[in-house]
Amino acid sequence: MNELERVNDNSGQQVVTKNSVPLTTIEVYDQYGAMAYGIILQIVPQPHLAQEILVSVFSSPLLQSCNSYPFTFAVCVIKLARAKAVEAKRKLMTLAPFSGDNGHSIKENTPEVIFDLAFRQGYSPDEVAEKLKISKSEVLKAFHEFFKSTNA
Amino acid sequence: MKTQQFIESGILESYLLGMSTDEEQHQVNQMVMTHSEISEYLVRFEKNIQNYFLQSAVPPPADVREIVQFRSNKTDVTKKGNHTYYDMPKDNTVKKDNYLDIEVNDTYIKVHKWWRPAFVAVFILSKVFLITGLYYYFKAASQEDEIQKLRTEIASPKR
Repeated sequence: MNELERVNDNSGQQVVTKNSVPLTTIEVYDQYGAMAYGIILQIVPQPHLAQEILVSVFSSPLLQSCNSYPFTFAVCVIKLARAKAVEAKRKLMTLAPFSGDNGHSIKENTPEVIFDLAFRQGYSPDEVAEKLKISKSEVLKAFHEFFKSTNA
Repeated sequence: MKTQQFIESGILESYLLGMSTDEEQHQVNQMVMTHSEISEYLVRFEKNIQNYFLQSAVPPPADVREIVQFRSNKTDVTKKGNHTYYDMPKDNTVKKDNYLDIEVNDTYIKVHKWWRPAFVAVFILSKVFLITGLYYYFKAASQEDEIQKLRTEIASPKR
């Protein structure tokens, strides 16, 4: 069940609220640990390092802030797992800065490629746009298209 | 910007995945407050995004859960505030519940970086000693043969 629900107040304006009690770290881990580990492995494929990142995600004080996050815990965990994994990947790649091609040759600017560059490779939308020589709005549109196609 | 255009712009996806700028975040917050369709879309998209990443979920090893549990307990204890001697139990016994037994199946060890040159030096020295030993062994053996040969040569004219 989604934690967000729409509440209709007397003014007629709908407000988005979170309808859940605060979860403990281990409860969050039991629910989203596997999902977070899957995300981390996509970004950092070394299992030993990925496990260390997973522990750092669930030991992070930022996880507690998910209780007051306006959206679901799942999204909060996804963001946190990605952020930690990308940070670790950047540390690993300090000798080879992200501005380089890293040996990848990009043939097509498909939504999958754009999403992969942004989410898994850790590039910002601006960096992806620069790399693929397209506008930032096209990059953002590709995110929308990507999730549209995955849920089709 | 029209609602549908805003949804299709992908800013919401970028926002939820933590890739948006402060300006975009502010823009999304404004749009969510004023357009119910956008907040409805966000609710649907959250579900979709969760389903998408659940497809690639990988169960982590059981040891990781125990470490997370141990660390989260530790954090909770730290959050309770600074320790004072008034908090100490009078009988100075520590409850066993405060500790979590962790079975670590990790096969990796961490050693100091100087172990690498030390190991290389020991390896090279062992090879040097081995080669030197073999050299002197074969040399001694050939000298023994030489002496034996000379002895037979010296002994033969007497016959």
